[in-house]
Amino acid sequence: MLGLKQIGGRLAQLIFVLWAVATILFLIFRLMPGNPLAAYIDPTFTEEQQLILMAKFGLDRPLWEQYFIYLWNLLQGELGDSFFYRQPVFDRVLELLPNTLILTFSSLIVAYAFGIIAGAWLAWRRGGLAERVAIPIVLTTRALPEFWLGMLLLAIFSFSLGWFPAGGTRSPGEEYSSLFALYSSTDFLAHLVLPAATLAIYSQGLPLLLMRSNMLDVMGEDFVTMARIKGLSSWTVVVRHAARNALLPVVTSFAIAVGYQIQGNVVVETVFSWPGLGRELVNAVSASDYPLAQGAFLMIAIVVVLMNLLADLLYSLLDPRISHA
Amino acid sequence: MTRILKTIAAAALATLVAAPALAEGDKIREISILTRPQAAQPSEFQFVNIIAQEWRKLGLDVKIQVMPWEQMADLVWYNRDKWDVTGWQMVGRPERSDPDELIYNLYHSSTAPKGYNFLGYNNPDYDKVVEAQRVETDANKRQTLLKQAQAMLAEDQPALMLVHPKSTFAFDKTVWNASTVVDQGGIGIKNTWTFIEMEPLGDKKDIVLNSADNIQGINPLWISGGTDSWITELIWDRLLRIGPDGLPKPWAAESFEWVDATTIKLKLRDGMKWHDGKPVTAEDVKFSFEAPAGEEAPMYKPFVGNIASIEADGNSVTFKLKKPAAAFTTGSLSKINIIPKHIWEPILTDLGVKDDNAESHQEKMPIGSGPYKFTSWTTNEEVVLAANDGHWARPKADRWILRIVSNTEAALGMLRSGEVNFLSDFSGDPKILLNAAKEDGDLEVVSTIDMGFRYVAFNNRRPPFDSAGFRRALSAAINRDLIVGAAFKGFAVKSNSVISPALPFWHNAEVVDMKTGADLAKSILKESGFELVGGKLHYPDGVKESLAE
Repeated sequence: MLGLKQIGGRLAQLIFVLWAVATILFLIFRLMPGNPLAAYIDPTFTEEQQLILMAKFGLDRPLWEQYFIYLWNLLQGELGDSFFYRQPVFDRVLELLPNTLILTFSSLIVAYAFGIIAGAWLAWRRGGLAERVAIPIVLTTRALPEFWLGMLLLAIFSFSLGWFPAGGTRSPGEEYSSLFALYSSTDFLAHLVLPAATLAIYSQGLPLLLMRSNMLDVMGEDFVTMARIKGLSSWTVVVRHAARNALLPVVTSFAIAVGYQIQGNVVVETVFSWPGLGRELVNAVSASDYPLAQGAFLMIAIVVVLMNLLADLLYSLLDPRISHA
Repeated sequence: MTRILKTIAAAALATLVAAPALAEGDKIREISILTRPQAAQPSEFQFVNIIAQEWRKLGLDVKIQVMPWEQMADLVWYNRDKWDVTGWQMVGRPERSDPDELIYNLYHSSTAPKGYNFLGYNNPDYDKVVEAQRVETDANKRQTLLKQAQAMLAEDQPALMLVHPKSTFAFDKTVWNASTVVDQGGIGIKNTWTFIEMEPLGDKKDIVLNSADNIQGINPLWISGGTDSWITELIWDRLLRIGPDGLPKPWAAESFEWVDATTIKLKLRDGMKWHDGKPVTAEDVKFSFEAPAGEEAPMYKPFVGNIASIEADGNSVTFKLKKPAAAFTTGSLSKINIIPKHIWEPILTDLGVKDDNAESHQEKMPIGSGPYKFTSWTTNEEVVLAANDGHWARPKADRWILRIVSNTEAALGMLRSGEVNFLSDFSGDPKILLNAAKEDGDLEVVSTIDMGFRYVAFNNRRPPFDSAGFRRALSAAINRDLIVGAAFKGFAVKSNSVISPALPFWHNAEVVDMKTGADLAKSILKESGFELVGGKLHYPDGVKESLAE
């Protein structure tokens, strides 16, 4: 187990990483060519109006001063107002985050459940026909671009067969009293299927291959041979002895994958018009909406860093042999 | 080798001997032409490349500079003496149905330092003509002046006009009665009239339409994104509305009358109600036009700048103007949203003491008096409006549902599968849309010539573009039919005037058919004194290149 001291150390590292991310974000957007207010100010504005706006957003101050104001605001959880929407960035990001999280988790849970079972099974059937057919398929799905896969699923299951709607999280004009009412409706599920399937197909390769190779390692070990000698059934040997031990690295890779998947959603959210954080990020960058882009990037960075921390903690929890001391 | 050297020497000698008494003009520097990236603006990128190629045939060195919009706007708009040529566009908006905004603002010398005349055209004769049309309230006399102004622009070519694009939209004709869809001149079938008049054929009574852009705000005091204006036009009434013919029609005002050149009197319609049930009064109208005059709605401020005073009396409203303005009915009375005083007065008073203005005030439940009422807005997903049963022009549809669809191909698929029934935003190739409609059989596609236009602006401040002859030649070198076909795939009409043929009363059709061709361009250059030396274009005699790097 981790001691308090180790956890403290990890937290300090985490804060350092977030500070570095925040600083890089600040610099990237200020060093981009062009007037930061080009997207905000209508060129018909008079010069005085433009100067007032520059002053309002603090863009007339020196860069270092802007930087300290920015850090101070971040410490207070203040992400500023979006240029594009003229509304607080924090509210906007928080409104879209649940949609992204539900898409991410549902697709990853499917991908990992499938990957773990299929990986274990393939390890068990090593050298057989199943392996020769399955492994190339898995490698192919891993190499498919997500947008292409998404368009393909849309063309087949939405436009040709008409089984699933093509975009959004709800049918036109459907009203839900709460987020929970929306997420628990069949309407929402029907909208979730295609984007989640796209992400799941793309993500299942990693847990599958990881599980398979872990299983192969584990099955060569003495305790598995011992279990077989004891005359236990194949099922018991695979599930109770081998799989349990092979699972540990896969579970921790899940936590890391959640973090990375959030960024992967950018493409899928655009293909399926999913109102999530990824699509907002693309809009914010193309509209030069610095406060919003910074806020969205920062939120994603926080999720990634937290998930990494969680992976570390899980590791030591699940496998007491691993110590951070 | 020696033979070659001898030939060169002989040629050089011949040039020297033939040289005129006056020093020959310098070689024109490499000129650069700006365009946005192909991914963002495929048509612009394409026509800029064609134009550069044609200009090179005249002996010019042309460099194409590709940059994103933010950078281009910054250079062209804020650094007015630092660029040569740029691709540019003006978009069609209902209030541009009056030619004043384009013909005056784009080329009057007063807007050259900081306003719309970014290319720096300065012609005192032109200034006089466009000033005269501005105060001319007799339509026929004004028409003559406007045609004259267009002819002057055609002669001077301050910019190289290319095309008026066509706006292309589609709808499901098994859901909507095609004969009730209104095609508004210069705007297309996606307009307020269609959303009010369009009649359902069967049980499906919801207009479900799409936009690729997120909604920025639903706010009667903020001119935000283009898609947002579709919504504000439906929730809030205006005194007049631009009709399908491009002329202002009575709306919330049932009639209007010019008392004299600077006084207009309007009579309000009886029985109008806000969506919260309170009556719409003349005081509300007065408030709506006074509110933008302060500092809280900067984007609407220019539209009320000419109002000297407003008088509300019973159900009539009288506007006194500072000076006569022919475009007042179109540019102001059809533009300003009528807002409820009981809601906005406290908000504006509160904002008056803060840094923020009305643009950042998003009402939870926007209240107007328009034909549709606000129902809901889900971030980046949809906006739902419901028909206002109490409105004198109650829409034939029940609901108006705008879906945000970020994927263009999916939008077309949704139209075919019925997830949307009105394609109000399609950025793909219009031919693909036409083919899909042919295959499908249920869809009707309508293309309308736009009020807006695409062009290439010359920086009139910088030599050699300060020479009208040079600009005329460069313009004559470009075959517009080729541009229509190659860069717009036929979905545009060629142009030589800022007033679109979509506004037939004001448009000067005589200027459109200009002669073009490389030979013509070369002869104009020669007449203007420009010379070809060793295949490269030089300034007229005695003129130095002052801007070479």
